[in-house]
Order: sequence, then structure tokens, then C-alpha cells
Amino acid sequence: MGYAAARGGLQAIEAAEKLVARERILGQSSWLDTDQIIEKLRLAVDRVMSEGGLWDEQLAASALRQAEGDPIEAAHLLRSYRSTLPRIAYSTPIDADDMVVLRRIVPAFRNPPGPQLLGRTTDYTGRLLHTEDDDTQRTNAEKMAAYIQENVTNFPDNDDDKNHDRSSRSPRRLLELLRDLDSVVDRRRSDDPEPFDITRHPARPPASRSARLATMARAETGALVNVWYRNILGPDGYLHEITLGEVRHGRLPVRMLHPLTGDEITVSFVRVTEVEAIEDLNGIDEDRGRFDVGYGLCFGHNEKKAIAMANLDIACERDQGRSFLEQSILLTTDGLDASGFLEHLKLPHYVTFRSMMERKVAIRQHQEASKNLESK
Amino acid sequence: MNTPLLQEILGNASRTDTNLDGSSSFKAQTLNFGLLDEYSKREIRRAILTAVAVPGYQVPFGSREMPVARGWGSGGLQISLAIVGPDDVVKVIDQGDDEGVNAVNLRRLIVSSTGIPESTTPEDSTLIQTRHRIPEDPLDARHTLVLQVPVPEPLRGVERDMRELARMHAEADYARMWVSLYEDKVRNGVITRTTGYPCLVNSRYVIATTPIPRWDIPRLHQSEFLSLFGAGREKRIYAVPPHTDVEPLTFEDVPFEVEKTPGAKCRNCASNNTFLVEVLATDVRQSYWVCSDSDWCRRHRELSDSSSQGLMT
Ligand SMILES: [Zn+2]
Repeated sequence: MGYAAARGGLQAIEAAEKLVARERILGQSSWLDTDQIIEKLRLAVDRVMSEGGLWDEQLAASALRQAEGDPIEAAHLLRSYRSTLPRIAYSTPIDADDMVVLRRIVPAFRNPPGPQLLGRTTDYTGRLLHTEDDDTQRTNAEKMAAYIQENVTNFPDNDDDKNHDRSSRSPRRLLELLRDLDSVVDRRRSDDPEPFDITRHPARPPASRSARLATMARAETGALVNVWYRNILGPDGYLHEITLGEVRHGRLPVRMLHPLTGDEITVSFVRVTEVEAIEDLNGIDEDRGRFDVGYGLCFGHNEKKAIAMANLDIACERDQGRSFLEQSILLTTDGLDASGFLEHLKLPHYVTFRSMMERKVAIRQHQEASKNLESK
Repeated sequence: MNTPLLQEILGNASRTDTNLDGSSSFKAQTLNFGLLDEYSKREIRRAILTAVAVPGYQVPFGSREMPVARGWGSGGLQISLAIVGPDDVVKVIDQGDDEGVNAVNLRRLIVSSTGIPESTTPEDSTLIQTRHRIPEDPLDARHTLVLQVPVPEPLRGVERDMRELARMHAEADYARMWVSLYEDKVRNGVITRTTGYPCLVNSRYVIATTPIPRWDIPRLHQSEFLSLFGAGREKRIYAVPPHTDVEPLTFEDVPFEVEKTPGAKCRNCASNNTFLVEVLATDVRQSYWVCSDSDWCRRHRELSDSSSQGLMT
């Protein structure tokens, strides 16, 4: 029946929902707790919070489970949940220097100010797949757990303030050192403009830097990495490859003014990844005697995203609107936008297609008529 | 039809009672009237008022993420939910069909989050949300037509740079649009634009007429009803108020053409004066035509059935 297959209305939709629910909830395995998802699938939860623009590990884990592990779908669930909530207050600006770092590396210097704190990373771990059967892996994990318990002092608790003094958990930035050396272009401004709120106003080129940064902070990780890579490899231009000055993962306080007392109070903490990217200025009109710096910051532990963001931030600044870079960042990196529009192709299009068919016939009739005219 | 448990599991689309304790870690969302919070509705209504005041101008707004994907009517849905009131009756169509799955889904969201009645008949409806069609019935001042828009920018085919696009609209500089139509005519003998035909509104702004077929475009001109266009992904709202000129861009000596197929008529109601879509059979010779407006077709089939019965007796 052709397009009639797209009909069937409410019963078909409800049947599809029941099928999803049955397979996902009933299944053969035990119920998947959000605690498990938060602990064992930490990076997926972080990614969903970042792309969903909402810091809530429980809700993000719940969304991931409901979305059967699809991070874009999970981010969609979080964002549409946000749409139902009134915005009742604003937090006060946070100084990123208030971060308590859990990990911090400075590739630009061998001995930077403060520690190189490798922290929780698999960067230097061989990517060897555990191929033992699941029972063996579970037994091994239990043995490992017992061993860790017995030798707890040899296994650092990265998140425990007792093990570190204050200065090593809030190290001085490399950027400050470079500024002391007068090696960085100073683009700091003395006015304090309100940040552009991308959830209340659509960001379009030409946009403020805060609009670009907010867009990238919420962008889909793969999309942002792709914009970066296309601009490194050439199809969209030749981005300069930055040197990483800071890569940090840590906790930041969220503060508000108390509605009654007016005092600033800490209401929560968020984990963020923060990156400072050092750019070697080599343009004709640029200050070749100094560096410039790009900035990236996103929710959770997501170094790929924050690094791409920092490199694109400085690239946009240098581009000064000459290319389509800013438009690409603002308009093509949102996961919900791109996947939503792609998925809409699955909707029926038989009205538009009918209109196209009609024009094809009209064009061919015209072609034949003019051919006949020529042959006469 | 659903058990309460399943409703809870399915969450978003199912209306649940207000749960004040908020302690359960696994509860479906409690829904506000019209889903969106009141501040968001106010913001969207303000954008709509601007759009009505400046016909055809694309008003930027802080598009919210909806429980449907961006591209599945999230812009139209935001307009509907921002303007719907308890006295409204809603009709939702996709391709002209009330029973299309996306129409069903959007109608279910509007009805379940507001409790208002639904109808398939324009006569009984006040709020009509649509994708790709305008109902065949004449609409009047009681109706508000909400159109779901995938791509609100009519000039995208001639210019990629959004800064330049903004300038062209601001200065009403549509020269390149005219050139592209002219080239189309010269190369192909006919203007090959299909749906979403560009139109000049109130002699000022060129709009993308969603992808409604050319068949529907004359109905926007000097209409009795208000048309609101919502593009959720692109974060734009624009409007054609009642009694406003909507002129398809064409040349004095090249008349605007709507879709036509000589000899075609609806197999169900025998109409040859509605927008028809082809139903393909495996054997192409057995293919036939039906009205895309399924509700109009059903009512006219009943009419012709009863009148032909009247003739026989
Ligand atoms: Zn019919």
C-alpha cells in the first residue's frame, strides 16, 4: 500500500513504544542501576551532561539508560526536560582558578609551575581488549578489588584532598607565567559584558566570543572534533595546530546569592575539563613576538572536546570572520540540531515528492516540445 | 489503553498526576499545561507578536528543546503550546493526513499536556498544526494555522553566508533570487521550483513557504486566518497575518503554476480540484490518485455516497 504503511496512527506508535519498553526493561539481564552507570560508564555520563547542558549525574544516567546508550538521544532527553523547568535564579560567576584539579598536564613545558598530575587517564595504557570470558573477567576484578583493599596506600585516591596540599591542587597557570614574561598578546578587556545566553537567543555570525564558547561547550563531541579535524586537514582551511598550555580536569564550586541573606553560598560542585591552547601567531598583521591563547571548558571529563574547543576558539579569533569557520561552529556542531534534521528524512515526504514529480513531467514536456520545434 | 505502569515508564507523552514528594528516582515528568514553563511561553508569544507586526520577517527566538526531534515539528509545537488555551480544539495533519504517525504523535503531545479536545475537521477546530499542507476547506478568522518549518531561509539556495543573508533581507535586496528564477526559466523552459515556493509578503520580505505545495500558496494571499511559521532547529518564527498580500515570485509573462495532472481525480471522492497524491501499485498502470487531505476526502466521499444513493431511490 505504499505510503499507507506510514499510517496506522496511535496503535502503531503505542505498539512500538511497548516493544521498546519490553526489550529494554524486561530483557534477560538484571536491572541496570543509575549508580552503576555513573560509576562504570563515567565518560558517557559526562558526555551526556555536557551535550545536554545540565549537570545532574543521576538524570544523565537515567537518560542514558532510557536512550539505550545513545548519547545524543540521552542529551535530547535532558534538554527537553530542561525546557519544562522555569529558570528561577542565576549562579554568580566562577573563577576557574577556584578549581581543585584531579588531573593536570602541561605539554608545553617540562617543568611548569605546579605539578604535572597525570590523574585518572588511560592515555598511556595499551589499548588491549580484555577478551577473557565474562566470568573470568569478573573473577579477576574481584581479586583485583581485594588486592586494592589490602594495599590501599599504593592506590592513590585522586579525589581525596587529604593526599594533596592546597597549592598542588590549585596550581598556578602556565599562562600567568607567560604573561609575566610579556610573551602573550593581552586581549583581556576591562568592561564586563553579560555573557551571550545561547539557550535564550540564537547565536548567529557575527557573534560574541561568549556565544561561540557556549555553543562549543554544549556541542556534540564528535561534531566538534570533526570541525577541528576538517580545518586541520584542509577541506575547510588550514588551522594552526596549537601547543597545549593547560589540560585540567577538576571540581569547581557553583555559588549563588542567598535569596534572604544576600550572602554568597556554595550550592554545588561540577566537574569540568579546562584547556588553554597556546597559539604561535604568524600572520602578517599579527604580533609575531608574542603568543596568543585559546580557551576551552566543558562539563565533565572530556579532553577531546575541550582541546578542540580551545583550538577553534583561537582560530576563530584569528580568522576575524574571513571564512565560514564561525558559522560552522555556531550552526553545525549541535548534536540535537544535526541528528534531528537528519532523522526527519524518515518522515513521510509524499506531498513534496508529488510536487517534484509534477515539475519533472513539466520539464520533459517542454524539452520534447522544443525538440519537435527544432526538427520541423 | 495503557496500564498506569506503562504510562509511567513511557514517561514524556503520558500525562501523570502531580507528585509533590519528588523523592522517587524513577518517575515520569510532571507536565505543565502546554508542557513549557510559563516564562518560555511568554517569550515565544512575544516573538509571535513581533512576527505578526512585521509580516514575513524571521524573528529570532530562544527555541526550546522539545520532546520531539528538531526537524519533526519542534518549532510548530512550541508555537502551538505557547498559544493554546483551554477553549481551543486542535487539529494536526502531516502531508494533509490526520492519521500520519507524526501528526498522531504531535497531537497526542498537545492533547495530553493540555487536556483540550481534538478534531480532524477544520470546521470544529481553532488551532491547526500542519506539516507540508494547508487543509482544503476554507479557513476563517477562528482559525490559527501553525506551520512546521524545516528551513526558514528562502535565500539559502543563492547565498551561504548568514551575514550576507541578513543584509539582503534588511535591504530587501532580492536581486539574486530574481536572477536565479530567470536562469531557471531560461535553462529549463519552466520554473522548476517545487514546494516551499518563495513569496513576497506585504511587498517587503521574501519568505520560504515551508514545503507546502504551490497548490496551497494562493490560499495564503489575503487570507481570513493567521498563519504562524515555526522553525525550531533554526530558531525562527515568522507570520502571515490575515488580509496580507502573499505574492509568489514570478515574472509578468510567466504565470505562477500550481501542481496539475490532467485527467487525474481522487479514486475515493472523485475530486479533481484538490491536491492529489499518487498511490503507486506494483503494476504502474494500476496506480491511482487520492486526496492528500484525508479528512476532506472522507467527508466528500460521504457526501457523494449519500447523494448518489439519493439518486438511486
Ligand atoms: Zn478524495
